[in-house]
Amino acid sequence: MRGRGAKIAGVLPLFMLFIAGTISAFEDIERLRIWPLPAQVSHGGRRMYISGDFKLVTEGSKYGDTSGILKEGFDRMLSIVRLSHVISGDRNSSGSGGSALLQGLHVIISSSTDELEYEADESYKLVVPSPEKPSYAQLEAKSVYGALHGLQTFSQLCHFNLKKKVIEILMTPWNITDQPRFSYRGLLIDTSRHYLPLPVIKNVIDSMTYAKLNVLHWHIVDTQSFPLEIPSYPKLWNGAYSSSQRYTFEDAAEIVNYAQRRGIHVLAEIDVPGHALSWGKGYPALWPSKNCQEPLDVSSDFTFKVIDGILSDFSKIFKFKFVHLGGDEVNTTCWSATPRIAQWLKKHRMSEGEAYQYFVLRAQKIALSHGYEIINWEETFINFGSKLNSKTVVHNWLNTGLVENVTASGLRCIVSNQEYWYLDHIDAPWQGFYANEPLQNITDKKQQSLVLGGEVCMWGEHIDASDIEQTIWPRAAAAAERLWTPYAKLAKNPNKVTTRLAHFRCLLNRRGVAAAPLVGGGRVVPFEPGSCLAQ
Amino acid sequence: MSPNLLRLLFLLMIFISLSITSSLSTPSPADSPPYLWPLPAEFSFGNETLSVDPALTLIIAGNGGGSPIVRAAFDRYMGITFKHASGRASLLARIRFLRMVEYDITSLKIVVHSDSEELQLGVDESYTLMVSKKNEQSIVGAATIEANTVYGALRGLETFSQLCAFDYLTKSVQIYKAPWYIQDKPRFGYRGLLIDTSRHFLPMDVIKQIIESMSFAKLNVLHWHIVDEQSFPFETPTYPNLWKGAYSRWERYTVEDASEIVRFAKMRGINVMAEVDVPGHAESWGTGYPDLWPSLSCREPLDVTKNFTFDVISGILADMRKIFPFELFHLGGDEVNTDCWKNTTHVKEWLQGRNFTTKDAYKYFVLRAQQIAISKNWTPVNWEETFSSFGKDLDPRTVIQNWLVSDICQKAVAKGFRCIFSNQGYWYLDHLDVPWDEVYNTEPLNGIEDPSLQKLVIGGEVCMWGETADTSVVLQTIWPRAAAAAERMWSTREAVSKGNITLTALPRLHYFRCLLNNRGVPAAPVDNFYARRPPSGPGSCYAQ
Repeated sequence: MRGRGAKIAGVLPLFMLFIAGTISAFEDIERLRIWPLPAQVSHGGRRMYISGDFKLVTEGSKYGDTSGILKEGFDRMLSIVRLSHVISGDRNSSGSGGSALLQGLHVIISSSTDELEYEADESYKLVVPSPEKPSYAQLEAKSVYGALHGLQTFSQLCHFNLKKKVIEILMTPWNITDQPRFSYRGLLIDTSRHYLPLPVIKNVIDSMTYAKLNVLHWHIVDTQSFPLEIPSYPKLWNGAYSSSQRYTFEDAAEIVNYAQRRGIHVLAEIDVPGHALSWGKGYPALWPSKNCQEPLDVSSDFTFKVIDGILSDFSKIFKFKFVHLGGDEVNTTCWSATPRIAQWLKKHRMSEGEAYQYFVLRAQKIALSHGYEIINWEETFINFGSKLNSKTVVHNWLNTGLVENVTASGLRCIVSNQEYWYLDHIDAPWQGFYANEPLQNITDKKQQSLVLGGEVCMWGEHIDASDIEQTIWPRAAAAAERLWTPYAKLAKNPNKVTTRLAHFRCLLNRRGVAAAPLVGGGRVVPFEPGSCLAQ
Repeated sequence: MSPNLLRLLFLLMIFISLSITSSLSTPSPADSPPYLWPLPAEFSFGNETLSVDPALTLIIAGNGGGSPIVRAAFDRYMGITFKHASGRASLLARIRFLRMVEYDITSLKIVVHSDSEELQLGVDESYTLMVSKKNEQSIVGAATIEANTVYGALRGLETFSQLCAFDYLTKSVQIYKAPWYIQDKPRFGYRGLLIDTSRHFLPMDVIKQIIESMSFAKLNVLHWHIVDEQSFPFETPTYPNLWKGAYSRWERYTVEDASEIVRFAKMRGINVMAEVDVPGHAESWGTGYPDLWPSLSCREPLDVTKNFTFDVISGILADMRKIFPFELFHLGGDEVNTDCWKNTTHVKEWLQGRNFTTKDAYKYFVLRAQQIAISKNWTPVNWEETFSSFGKDLDPRTVIQNWLVSDICQKAVAKGFRCIFSNQGYWYLDHLDVPWDEVYNTEPLNGIEDPSLQKLVIGGEVCMWGETADTSVVLQTIWPRAAAAAERMWSTREAVSKGNITLTALPRLHYFRCLLNNRGVPAAPVDNFYARRPPSGPGSCYAQ
């Protein structure tokens, strides 16, 4: 039935698998098949099984779980371990008798709060089986969100044995102590260039938890469309692509809630004064003029009233301590070209560049007044870094060496250098994502502590609901390990982790995430038949 | 009220309302098309906008109305229809603060006449759907689906869900252009999609996503090409070494997994047709049982000389019979390169002993496999080469599946065989250079004029061969082009053949693609010439 390319041997992938297996045998750490690699791991060689009614118990935990975050996280963990498999094997007779059977997971959380706070403790300690209760695994964490990370790790220890039809954990006893290297581990999505439906955003959030990413940077609005409802200025979403490619205010609140219950912060962005043409669809007064529509009119108080209205509305639903105000790629020629604004500039003795600074700083003040700390793209630092509010976090994307300069000036920084961490660069290979070190050339401890972390960016010009997952994954996972795992444990040569990353990619596939093959560089399709593990 | 009386009233009402609505609004080319995919056989609509209660209640009637299949489908479609936070989530708030809110559609009545849940080829999938505002005339409620079988009710629910749209201004679900009267049934009983889990393993969750998406386009057969030369991912209890031919120990299906796929599909009115492609495309069998290879150095086709070969086939089919209740079973039979038989001494001797050419042996193999399938109470399906090579010897019950030659169905039905149309030039989804309109314009009945012969074309199938389609790209390679074929196979021939499809079909297909996206299915842009390519630039889903 195959018109072409039908006679491709299945031998090659199997051979590659064999090679890969041989290589990894040299490196015990790579045989662990955990992604991202935990800070400390030890294991034994004993096989255990998961009981059919594997239970969550929380004796001794200070966390009441009144909102069900832990219980839901536990249920999600079980469902991604079981997937759709029928667990029919007789667990009691399998392995070395009943003592190899795990009845449940004992979770002990020492903090009672549900609050998802930035820089809160995300650590956990996972012991399988528990020394005190040998028929249970034990997970200890400071906060419920640390426990959620522990559940993710636990899910990766579990495997469905297709022959015995049981879920097993190999290499017990496990003793894992883990915590992230960076507190900010982000992924940007862009709902302006293409609208992303709610189920798609939720799928992205779920997949982020598998790699322990913790910030969804939502670049909501841009030049092309304004999809979000802003109750204070209800015509803004007239700038949506169509009447249905929109998010209600409640939808956005639901996204935040959905993410929070998975330990993920949502960083909302409005990118001002450039990248804001779509605002004027509902309020043309925001444009310098009908034929010169970007950046936003710097001369009009109305512009800042709208920003204030948006940020006021934001503060009701986006509870993260930061808001992103953009500030990149501002082409100010429209300001001088519009007589009204040119006069205003003259009156206030401002150059275009000074007006850009004026705009960004005024927007910063508005954000501060709503209780936010600010993130701005790096051009704001390059142009007027010394004027930026000290609560500013500078978001790198363009220049190498920027992180050194920002941290030297005492400001905080997030790394997203485009040549390595822009996912829309579809020919950028995963190895580059893995090797990109946020603390490159930064030796001073104080400066290092100002690097909050990093973010991979999924810009949406060529990304819609049809290709977002395979453009994000598995490359975002490579960056996720860089951001999570202690520096000393990271591979100097990314190719050493190929087998383990391939396992993680196949794990994503099994969980229904359309992660792309590793072989071929960048975002690729499989070039021939073969095993998921070898591609 | 007895079902018959109910039906009478219902029909009477349709008649009354049809006469009303036709005066209100007659569908004309100037109107925006009804955004339904595939287009129903008969429909009429008005110009009212009705709101739908997020707490829509299900009222069941008829012998089959109580089926769990109906209940589960209703719950699924409620989830799809009310996925915006302001729908279900704020319901309590609404009740508390807005006691006055009244919805036009507060209940959905589903009437199913038959209590049989048997899902077989040709099962009655027809339904009637009526949506109108409550008034004195509407004795049977605001929205009603009536069907002979639960599977007809499922198709009606899908159509109902496509009428429902979330309105961002009122933040409620609305039905535009009511009242609606739809009487619908498929043109073909077999509307298939092939998946290939041998070239790339597809995890359970992905197969379920595919099945779920099929139900949105009213496709009804999942053709599961389970095994091929590259890998054997399937557990066969009778021959437990066979799945040693899997790519890895993770890339396998247990018997229970397969049963779960069949159950999941049945809940959506979809049959699963399993395929074991013999004697070619079977190299992976020998990883577990090397005796099945002619020799270690020449491994395909299966060794025709050994009884063991047919014992294994019989064992596989016996095991599969317990899993796959569908009456059709696919035995492959395509692309058989018999060189290995000629070049292997013991096979060559066997051929000489029987005075067989390699072609005779090919026929012998296929017919013997057919008899095994028939003995298990299956109707065999074979790829077209079996018909072109020895059509007169095939069991008369055989269904021929076309792929290669464009007029093979014409020839097969002329000989009295049934046929499935899958012309590779148009309906092979792995051919990325076939744009949606070519898929759409391909007619399975082309060149077949005699109505009695037309009936032998049981339908068609789009084929998602897996050489370059794994979990990461399979859904966007299937969609939206499979939808183009789905409408061709469901809607009336007149509806899909008349007029300028850029006006009659393209806007609806854009809409359907966005609907798939909104339901989480990564359907690719419609307008790209090459399939599964990313969008060419920023823009609206409805314009790409």
